Amino acid sequence: MLAKWKLREVIVLSVLAVVFAVVYLLFLQLGNVLFGLFGLIGYDIIFGIWFIVSIIAAYIIRKPGAAFLSETVAATVEVMLGNAVGPQLIISGMIQGLGAETVFAATRWKNYSTWVLMAAGMGSSLFSFAWGFYVSGFAALSPGYVTAMFFVRLVSGALLAGLLGKYLSEGLAKTGALNSFPLGKEHKRNVTV
Amino acid sequence: MSLNEVNPSIKAFAIVISILILSVFFDPITPLVTILWSVTVTFLFGRVSFKKWLLLFAPFLFIAVIYVWSTMLFPRLQGGDSVIWQWGFLTLTAEGFQRGASLGLRVLSFATLSIMFTLTTKPTDFLLSLMQQCKLPPKLAYGIMAGYRFLPLIKEEFQTLQNAHRVRGVARARTIPDKVKQLKRYVIPLLAGAIRKAERTALAMESKGFTGDKNRIFYREITVSRMDWLFFILMISAVCLSAFISWKLGYLQFYNGEL
Repeated sequence: MLAKWKLREVIVLSVLAVVFAVVYLLFLQLGNVLFGLFGLIGYDIIFGIWFIVSIIAAYIIRKPGAAFLSETVAATVEVMLGNAVGPQLIISGMIQGLGAETVFAATRWKNYSTWVLMAAGMGSSLFSFAWGFYVSGFAALSPGYVTAMFFVRLVSGALLAGLLGKYLSEGLAKTGALNSFPLGKEHKRNVTV
Repeated sequence: MSLNEVNPSIKAFAIVISILILSVFFDPITPLVTILWSVTVTFLFGRVSFKKWLLLFAPFLFIAVIYVWSTMLFPRLQGGDSVIWQWGFLTLTAEGFQRGASLGLRVLSFATLSIMFTLTTKPTDFLLSLMQQCKLPPKLAYGIMAGYRFLPLIKEEFQTLQNAHRVRGVARARTIPDKVKQLKRYVIPLLAGAIRKAERTALAMESKGFTGDKNRIFYREITVSRMDWLFFILMISAVCLSAFISWKLGYLQFYNGEL
């Protein structure tokens, strides 16, 4: 998968993943607060934030595998940073990344419009929910509650991953730091025209 | 032989597979036995400080309690469940309580397994092992290591930014909208700095001859021995044994494919 990638792209992807691994761990704390307030559905409200690096990396680098790899690396780094996050998180990361990657693959990695980014966030929601259903044993919960959790997570994926990811990436493009990446080039074209 | 010396990839796989097996069961006894087993192994065979362990484990008690009450308040009702208490839309059943307890204990069993891993594994060893045993491409592995090394630098940059803002008279944010704005003022420059640093690092790596070729040798080799596989087999057997004990006691309950 990485054969066609330039080293520059791989390192930028890794660094994004590392930065967001820290963000993810911080949001775990916030998640626990919401979890305490609202029960299981509390996590789902902010679940989208845990998919954001997929959207950002794919939107900036625009190569097959960016969404999958960035999320997988972010999960690996979360495990490396220790705390109480075990290696099973890497599987969660791969599944979440695969969810977003599937949506980008459906456009043959050509379309990065707002709708596609939001759909990619929702793709991660869908995949991660299926995984969570098994690992966290949602089968023991009432179907109505599980459905509510699913829809909250879907919306969270579209907004917190899709929209916020797009917004942050564009903020970055404005600084000029992305000038050698597709998103930066696109931004420069739009400014000069 | 201590847990700290087990090959990190094999240790990780043992734990992931244990968790996948544990997820099939919906009774309290299987995770409970697994918890006892993993805590015993952690302290008998790992060089682990009890204080650190407790610090990591404590938050999971809170999470487990919420799992229990969520499952109790919103249980999947099945025919033949014995209702203990009913009030409005709330129905408390004996079966719901048992499933809640099983999910709470499941969270705790995942926690003890995770902590067993993180407290006995060095982060760089884990990455080196992923590269040497699991074929993680060197390009990505060294990229992650470079990124990992950036973290202290990014923290420093964050403090510099904070000071710079203060010197220019930016007031400390007190309200929530102000805090969001402040967050944006930090996030974009920090990310932009990180990306620029990443590009420079890539250039430096290439100029020193790093090609990302998979046929390379390693300064630090992470090896696999028979003991590693013994650990793997013991871990998986222990989970299966937990389920067996639960079955003997008459508690064992499977996931029946309910949606």
